[in-house]
Amino acid sequence: MHNHSHEKPVEDAEMRSARKKMWIAWLLVIPIAVLMLLERFAGIMFFDEKITTIIFLVIAFPVLFIIGFDTMKYGLRGYITLYFTMDSLIALGTFIAYLSGILSLFLDISDYSGISGMIMAFFITGRYIESKARGRATYAIKRLMHLGAKKARVQRNGKEIEISIEEIKIGDIMIVKPGEKIPTDGIIVEGESSVDESIVTGESMPQEKMKNDAVIGATINQDGILYVKATKIGKDTFLSHIIMMVEEAQGTKIPIQKFADKITSIFVPAILIITVLTFIGWIFFTQNYQLALFASIAVLVIACPCALGLATPTALMVSSGVGAEKGILIRKGEAIQTLKDTKYVVFDKTGTLTIGKPAVIDIISYIDKKKLLTFAASLENLSEHPLAKAIVNEATKNKINLMKVSKFKIERGKGVTGYINGKKITIGNKTMMKENSVSLEKISKDIVIIETQGTPLFIAENKKILGIIGVADQLKPYAKETIMQLKKMKYKVIILTGDNEKTAKNIAQQLQCEYIAEVLPEDKLQKIKDIQKKGMVIMVGDGVNDAPALKQANVGIAMGTGTDIAIEAGDIVIVRGDIRAVVSTIILSKATFSKIKQNLFWAFIYNIIAIPLAISGLLNPIIAEIAMALSSITVVTNSTLLKKIKKRMY
Amino acid sequence: MTKKIIYIKGMHCASCASNIEKSLKKVPGVKEVSVSLMTNKAFVTEEGAKNEELSKAVERAGYKIISIE
Repeated sequence: MHNHSHEKPVEDAEMRSARKKMWIAWLLVIPIAVLMLLERFAGIMFFDEKITTIIFLVIAFPVLFIIGFDTMKYGLRGYITLYFTMDSLIALGTFIAYLSGILSLFLDISDYSGISGMIMAFFITGRYIESKARGRATYAIKRLMHLGAKKARVQRNGKEIEISIEEIKIGDIMIVKPGEKIPTDGIIVEGESSVDESIVTGESMPQEKMKNDAVIGATINQDGILYVKATKIGKDTFLSHIIMMVEEAQGTKIPIQKFADKITSIFVPAILIITVLTFIGWIFFTQNYQLALFASIAVLVIACPCALGLATPTALMVSSGVGAEKGILIRKGEAIQTLKDTKYVVFDKTGTLTIGKPAVIDIISYIDKKKLLTFAASLENLSEHPLAKAIVNEATKNKINLMKVSKFKIERGKGVTGYINGKKITIGNKTMMKENSVSLEKISKDIVIIETQGTPLFIAENKKILGIIGVADQLKPYAKETIMQLKKMKYKVIILTGDNEKTAKNIAQQLQCEYIAEVLPEDKLQKIKDIQKKGMVIMVGDGVNDAPALKQANVGIAMGTGTDIAIEAGDIVIVRGDIRAVVSTIILSKATFSKIKQNLFWAFIYNIIAIPLAISGLLNPIIAEIAMALSSITVVTNSTLLKKIKKRMY
Repeated sequence: MTKKIIYIKGMHCASCASNIEKSLKKVPGVKEVSVSLMTNKAFVTEEGAKNEELSKAVERAGYKIISIE
């Protein structure tokens, strides 16, 4: 659909030069390989032994010291600065092999100079393939960074001009035509359109937008022309925040990696010691310098801390990318590991499971229903209360004309009064009715009916009750499916709500889960602590008034509203309001963690098997180098396979 | 406490990341370091650590600095 956002990040100059070096290295070492194979398997020798050695030395020189210059320089420098890397191992291995060639011209030792060139060629190739694979792993993230629009059309001094994105100022009116990206975050001042936000929030349905609606930069305007006033630019935009969160997450540590990191940090010195011991051991037991050298070089080149070190970051990278595409931002890598042991999912109700905007759900009227709604809406139209808005919306929906109200008065926390056609109309809660001497005794059964669904608002004329309007927050689409899914995944689901017992019970019954009612915002934290006594908790909230509870939970998932990410408190942030993303988050985290475990397992097994084999002298150094290259390529490729999980996510 | 991002060139394996981490941690004032091999960045939380000192630390470990933010 949006092909323009799928362009691959341009391959940079560094990769191009790496590829060129790789081909030159192979052109040089292929003659070595041919000569070596012919001698080994066909017994054919074109030249005398010394001349062969000189040919090898001449060919291997540029491979090692020109093409492999960086590896040699940084690797060998490690022996001076004592900051070792895997380059230190390869550099030493090939250097010794090359030296053996020179020495063999004067002394009676075997010549490994040919091998040195081949090792370097394989090493460079391995590194090239690995960088390519790493590039694929970072692809999704890079795409996110290049998502923003490059140019904007703005009105300045009454003229329409095109400027680059950096030149936009807050307050500029941007003109966005159908099919174009909205340049930066803003508010629509004119026009109506549907906007495809999927590339930023993961929300697959286009969103209808009209005047005064907020829009996100980099999303795509679909049908109408929009005039958008820029409200955020540069580092403050929605997209910039997302990118920053994803990037910072790459630097966080996952506990399981710590052990691997410890090994990595002592790996190279340890291998150097093992190499020396191998060399001494072979000489001591066999007096065979040739085999001692053979085994030592093999140890140097086969040992690879890379696979160990790449296991976690590559998986985390791919996972972040997949998540970001679906509007899921993993902020703390640690959450991935914690999440697999969680038993409870606790939902904050308002704004998370529900839309957060109350609506009329039931009307019990003792007069004409339309008349009741007319009275109620005419009065409530003058109030700013959220419940009042619900009633006005209901009236608009029923195309009701409002009536004139005089002497309007608000009683805070109770209700409103006013005169319509000379009659005193009162709307409010039980207290309001009591204070106006309206008797509710006869309608107690009706009150119960409304109370099980939501908050009752009473409408009275003087002291006579006219009817009850029930107002409640609506469940979000897919709330029920999400909870069913979670239960299928063996989670216990609990709703936390400030609602009264009856309303809470009603919602919990609809969703078939447990609930804790009448929880004040400041008590949420304590409730989480209580549940934690029984098992680890994932808390899902909007991150506004439940931030402490999100922090207290073992994993806090903060749900955004689509245009705002408030969201310092969440370990994981869901950008769009779609509740199903909670299930996706759990699927993604679990898959990522098991991928990390797989990677670490293979990386360990590889070293545990390969190093003893090399010590025993059973491995040709060239085979050892190939195995080494393959080990890191395997880990990185295995991580990129994590992309497949996308199909199982909403 | 401020957070700094250091853009680094030349990292290619896990030992590199751990070398830079070790080296940066020795800089006075540095509280927390995490090096991301995948994005070629080091995230440093510090108090009173000078940019020159940070650059030196990265270079001492054998890597180049592109910029510090």
